[in-house]
This record gives sequence, C-alpha cells and structure tokens, in this order.
Amino acid sequence: MAKIEISGISKAYTKDVPVLKDLDLTIQSGEMFFLLGPSGCGKSTLLRILAGLVKPDAGIIRFDGEDVTEVPPEKRRAAMVFQNYALWPHLNLFENVAFGLRCLGVKGGELINKVMEALELVRLQDFAKRRPASLSGGQQQRVALARALAVDPPLLLLDEPLSNLDARLRDAMRVEIRRICRLRKLTALYVTHDRQEALSLADRAAVMDNGVIRQMGTPEMLYDFPADRFCAEFLGDVNLIPGRVEQRNLISALGNFNLSHPCRNGNAVGAIRPERLRILPENAPDVPCSFGATITDRTYLGESCLWRCRTALAEVEVRESAGPARKIGDRIRLSFDPEFLLVFPE
Amino acid sequence: MRRFLQYLMLAALAVFLGAFLLLPIGTVIEEGCSPALIREVFRNPVYVEGLLNSLAIAGVTTFLVFCIALVLALLYDRYDFFGKSSCNLLMLLPMILPPFVGALGFQQVLGHYGILNSILVRCGFAPVDFLGGNGKFWAVCIMEALHLYPIFYLNLVTALGNIDPALEESAANLGAGRLRRFFRIKLPLLRSGILAGGSIVLIWSFTELGTPLMFQYNRTTSVQILNGLMELESNPVPYTLVLVMLVFSALLYLLARLSLGRHEIASTKGATASSAQRLTGFFRLLPLLAFLAVTAVAVLPHTALILNAFSTNYYGTILPEGFTLDHFRDALGSNLVLPSVGNSLRYSALATVIAATAGILCGLASVRWKLKGATLTDLLAMLPLAVPGVVVAFGFLGMSVKYPWAARCFNPVENPLWLLAIAYAVRRIPYVVRSVTAGLEQTPEELENAGRNFGASPFRVLRRITLPLIAANVLVGGLFAFSFSMLEVSDSLILAQKSEFYPITRALYELAHVLGSGPATASAFGVWTMLFLGATIIAAGILVGKKIGSIFRF
Repeated sequence: MAKIEISGISKAYTKDVPVLKDLDLTIQSGEMFFLLGPSGCGKSTLLRILAGLVKPDAGIIRFDGEDVTEVPPEKRRAAMVFQNYALWPHLNLFENVAFGLRCLGVKGGELINKVMEALELVRLQDFAKRRPASLSGGQQQRVALARALAVDPPLLLLDEPLSNLDARLRDAMRVEIRRICRLRKLTALYVTHDRQEALSLADRAAVMDNGVIRQMGTPEMLYDFPADRFCAEFLGDVNLIPGRVEQRNLISALGNFNLSHPCRNGNAVGAIRPERLRILPENAPDVPCSFGATITDRTYLGESCLWRCRTALAEVEVRESAGPARKIGDRIRLSFDPEFLLVFPE
Repeated sequence: MRRFLQYLMLAALAVFLGAFLLLPIGTVIEEGCSPALIREVFRNPVYVEGLLNSLAIAGVTTFLVFCIALVLALLYDRYDFFGKSSCNLLMLLPMILPPFVGALGFQQVLGHYGILNSILVRCGFAPVDFLGGNGKFWAVCIMEALHLYPIFYLNLVTALGNIDPALEESAANLGAGRLRRFFRIKLPLLRSGILAGGSIVLIWSFTELGTPLMFQYNRTTSVQILNGLMELESNPVPYTLVLVMLVFSALLYLLARLSLGRHEIASTKGATASSAQRLTGFFRLLPLLAFLAVTAVAVLPHTALILNAFSTNYYGTILPEGFTLDHFRDALGSNLVLPSVGNSLRYSALATVIAATAGILCGLASVRWKLKGATLTDLLAMLPLAVPGVVVAFGFLGMSVKYPWAARCFNPVENPLWLLAIAYAVRRIPYVVRSVTAGLEQTPEELENAGRNFGASPFRVLRRITLPLIAANVLVGGLFAFSFSMLEVSDSLILAQKSEFYPITRALYELAHVLGSGPATASAFGVWTMLFLGATIIAAGILVGKKIGSIFRF
C-alpha cells in the first residue's frame, strides 16, 4: 500500500500541445482510484508518468511522501498491467510472472511459491508451462495481472486492461480485479474510458479532459452531481434543456422548473438523465416539473426500454423498466423530481 | 547519464562509419577529382567505351531482371497453386553462387566446345561462337540477371504483400478491367518495391567486377580499375575511374528515384486476407512450372559447374565422358584452397561480429532510443548499398597509401585481417541494419517498458527481452553478412595481395586461370562454396519466410 501524491504535473509531447496541465491529485493508501476520460485526455500519460516510463516536464510525484519524480522505472515498484498486456512471447507463463521477482532477487523455492501463488490467484496455475500465444485474450489479461501482483507492488497501475475483451469476459474480470485488489489491500490506479467500469469498481474517480481534472469524487457523486456539462455527458446519457435561470427557476421552452439547488441567474442548460424521467398519461393531473411529449421511437434493451419522445424543444430520451404497453405516436407527459434536475451555467 | 551513454555509442558508430566508409570514399574523390584526369577519362575512347559498356550492362541486366521478377512475383501474389510455399526458397537457389563463379559454369554451357554447341553439332548444325563478339556482353548480362533476379523478386513480393487487396477489389467493383487495375492501381503501388529492388540491381550490375572479368569482357570500368591497380603509383587514373563510377551510380539511383518516386502510399497499410485466386486442375501446376523453368535456367551454370567438378573430361561433349573425385581432392590439396578457406572464415567471422554490433546499435539508436542524429547514421549505414564495392575497396587502398596510421593498421601487403574484415563488414552493415530495424519495429516497445516496469535495468531488458525477441532477425542479418562476406569479390580481389592471405574468391579466381585442370579444380572448389552459401541462405529463408525480401531494401 502506498499513498500517491501528484502535484503540478505538466507534460507536452510537442511544443504548444500540452497533454497534462499543472495537475494535482492525491490517492489514498489502499484506494482503488479511477482516471476516466475520453481518448487523448492525458490519462494514460499520467499513468506512464507514475510508472516512470514518461518523464514529466514539471511537477513532483511522491510515493508515501518520498519524491520519486527522478527515480527510474525499474526502481519504482509501481507494477503496471499494460493495455495490450505486454506479455513476453518468448517466455512461458511461469517465466513471465517470475521476471519481476528475479529482478527483486527472489530465488529457488520462494520464487516458485510466489509465482504459483500469483498464478493461482488468477486461476491459471495449470498453464504455467504454456506460452502467452496459446492463451485466449482473457487468460492473457489474467497473466498480466498475475505478473503485476507477484511482485507485491505498493502501487498497481492498470491501463485500460479490459479494453480488448468481450462484454461477458469484461464483466467477469471486473469482479476478479476488485476481489484481488481488496484481498491484497492494494493501492490501484485504473485508467479507462469505460464509465461502467469506473462506476462499478472505483472507490473514487477523477474525470479528465484535455489534460486537466474536471471533477473528482465517489462514483455516486460523479454520476448524480456532475460538476459541469462535460462530466454529466461523459458519465451517462443526459437530456439537455437550454434556458435561463431566474430566481431559482429554470425558464425554458418546456416550461418553468423550480430548482432544488441555488444557481446564479443567467443563461444555463438544464440536464436530466433518461432514467430520472417518469412517463405519465397525457391527461394526468397537473404536476410540477412536467411537460408534454409524443413517443417517436422505442428501443428494447432487455431489462429496460428506451423511449424517444418529441417535445416542444427537442427530442428527449426516457428509460423505464418494463411497464404498461405504449405505442409510437402516443401523447404522454414526462415528469421528474426537481432534485435530479442539474443546471450548468452557460 | 543513460542518455549520455546512448549518445556515446551512437557517436562511436558514426565515427566508425565516418572512418571506414566516408573516408575511403572521400579519399577516392580527393585523389581522382582532378580536372585533367577527368578530361583524360572522357577523352580516352577506351575508358569511354568501358563506361558505356558498364552502363549498357546495368540497363540490360536490370531490364531482364525486371521482366523475370515481375512475372514471377505477380504469379506468386495472384494465385494459390501447387507448391507455392516452396517457391520463395526456390528463388534463393540462384543466389548461392557468386555470378563470377557461375561464369565458369556458363562458359561450360556456351563455350565453343560447350554443352550447347555439342548439342548443335550432334543435331548436324555448325557450332556457334556464343561468347565471341557481342556474345560476351550478353553472357555477362544474362549471368548477372540470373543471379540478381531473386533480389528484385523478393522486393516485389514484399511490396505486393503490403497492398491491401481491397484497393484492387474496389477498382474491380467500379468496373476496372484486369489490365486497367494492373496499370492504374497495382503498378503505382508497387513503385517503392520496384525502386528498392531495381536500384540495388542497377548499381550492382553497373559495378560488378567478377563476372566481366571471368568472361574476359575487359572493356568495362570495373575491370579497367582492377587492371590499373598495378601502376597505381605512377598512374592515378583508376582513382578517377572510381570517382566516375561513384558519380554515375549516384546518377543512376537518382534517375530511378525520380522516375519512380519515393513516397510510400499510406493506404497500403492494413492488408488483411489474401486475395489470391485458387487455381484448380492442371492450372494448379502452371505457376510452379514457370518458377521451375526460370530456376532451371538460372541454375544451369551451377549444374554445369557441378558436372565440370566431377568430370574426367568435359570438352566438346553434352555430358562428361567420365566421373571422378580427383578435382575435389586436387582442390583440397591445392596450397591456395585450404588456407583461403581458413582466411575467409576468419575475415568473415570478424566482419559479421562488427556488422552485427554496428547494425544492432544503429537499429536501437533509430528505432528505440530515438536519438537526434540516429536517422542520419541509419542513412549512412545504408549508404554501402548504393556505393559500389570497388569504390570502397579502392578507397581503403588509397587510405593505406595516403595516411600513415592507415598504412600501419591496414597494409594489404602485411596481414590484411582487419582491413578485409572491416571492408567486408562496412559493405554488409545494411543487411543487419534492415533486418534488426524490421525486428525492432515489429516488436512492441511496450514489452521492453514492461521489463523496466518490473524492475529490470536497461541492460537486463536488452539481454533478456530485446535481443531474444529480435534474435531471428539478428541471425538472418548475420547469416547474410557472413555468407556474402565469404564470397565477396571486389574487396577480395583488390585488397588481398599476397597468396597466403587470399580469401576464397581470390583463390577461386587464381585457380580458374591455372592452365590445364585449373578450371575443373576451381569448379570443385566452387561446389564447396555453393553448398556452404546454399545452407546459410536456406536457413535464413526458413527463419524469416517471405519477409526475407525486406533485407534487400533501401
């Protein structure tokens, strides 16, 4: 376990195109922290800076209070699970996992025990003599994880480790990674652009964009109370209602809605997630925070149904679990709890 | 500190290439670059004729090579046929004999009392003097073409393999016929392959020394340079001839580049499934027959050489009158042969170590370390492919005359071990560089990063991860460096001046000119060398498969 402190980190690969801009971040010991953001936002660069594979232009990195900014990668003990696994094809699984241990001077019986223990952890102990090429993508991913865990690292770095797997395997591996990290009480930094992965696994997460952190917090906080429109849109689907805030009211073409949180007056955009909208009959008694709509499309998603509806302003999406039968063209009313209406000044 | 060491190693490599590649070339330019001498070269009809003949040999040889290689490469790329997998190995067969040794066999086929004339006489025709008059010129061109077409072919096959089949399919989909697709889509996309293979063949045949020498076609610039060697101290014209050859080589390369362009076409990336058409029935055999027919012609000199080596008397008959192993015994008993094998092994082994070290360093500096100046060093390391062997060899000779330090280290009259090893190495570095570079580019850098990430020092990463992963490439580059060094001609003829230090090729050349059983003994010796080079090239072919063509690219 290690506490990670990142202060003032900046990096530009080419002049005038900064990848990271004066970034500060603290990851508590034993925490599973996620860096979430679109491709090219700088999250992988930050991870590689922590691993020592990329040198920052400015800033300091501390592991447990010790400055490691200038420490070469082989001395950092920040084991990384690479996006494409980076398993050495000329070495079998045992040797792949043993590599880091040998570098630490572990030998003989202890080496064998530790390697087998790591392989057992990912349930690949029977494959020790096989080469990586003979394994499936999911198995290779587990070897990469075992290789990183075998050296008992104070810090585990995971660079989109599930991005090459199919959906089912990805779900299984998420559970596996969380199990192992909790079992070993690891400090882990996990980079992904998959919001489901971040929301389901993270203790805390940071949303990055264009080299800066836009918001940091628990998954629930990030999802329900995004700091800005970018975070709201990045973390899930959202219906946008452009308008103007006056006296804690959002005035829009859909109607006037009371706000539960204070917001400064002026142009703003309201945002509400599809699952926060409720569908009511057209002739339902007048309820606050509601507006009329017509169903234009339906997408069946198995556990839920996504309705696309035309309103006086634009199309909105509504997600609801299987409910009463409706059909395209039905006139309805949509309502929401004002607590879930997010408003971002424009 | 680490970066400093990397730059230090790059600097050492640059100094090595500067001293043993640029300095020899510079020496030749300096010695030969006199207006009076240049005027003398272009006024003397003998030299002008030599230059024109060399250019004509280059042009005709390249044209012949292009015709043979393009047809075979297209057959290979377009169709799935019986025996396809063995075709690339078949292509390597002609390369197992240096053309100047092949010339011995070729003379056996086309000579006045050779096989072809024996057949003509048997059929009631008068013998034809194939090697008289212009015959020697054509013999040189055909001999060189039969040796060099595999290089062009391998480049074309690599280039064809890089073309996304969808590009041609989309042209067909839009209504383009077979010919239009070939001329408008395939041929333009092949330009880089044609340039890569073509320029090597063009310059190689322009500067080839051994083949014209063996056919006694002496009115070529390279032979005139060799002949001028004896009176070098009183007559510096050979320096100017070398300079003229260098300038014309550069001009030929520029001409090829201007006419074919150099830009890689971006859309050639991402080739997926093969679009080869599966042939059925008798047609399945046709492409293989074409390959076999070309190879049979190409190995005709080799066959004649083998027959000659085993024959008691092979003069004016279609087949030898009787068979004997005496020539092999004579070859091994000759006071030139065994020492020359030992010498060649020593020179070539040392050359391979030097070339491999320089090649690995060059590849690492440009692909992995991405040092400033590495691209320039990479270009410099590839320069020997464009510089005639005669130029470098002559430059070394000039250096040993001009610089006292070079005279002390590299006196060819004394032991030429280091001189020949370095001369061989410098000319073979490109093969190692291309092979290593290809290996490094195909190996994800992340594998090395992972090594560092798990606590390995840069040296340990190099030893345990990088080198094992590119071992096949280093081995292939090394094999080529070694086998081509073993059979190197220009440096060997020019720089090995004492019989006790003769390498194989020089010994072969001397043996071939011994009256009586000399050619037969030389043939027996040639068979040994053929077996040797054959084994190494086939090993390399098996190791890297069809990617072997990438070794012969600029």
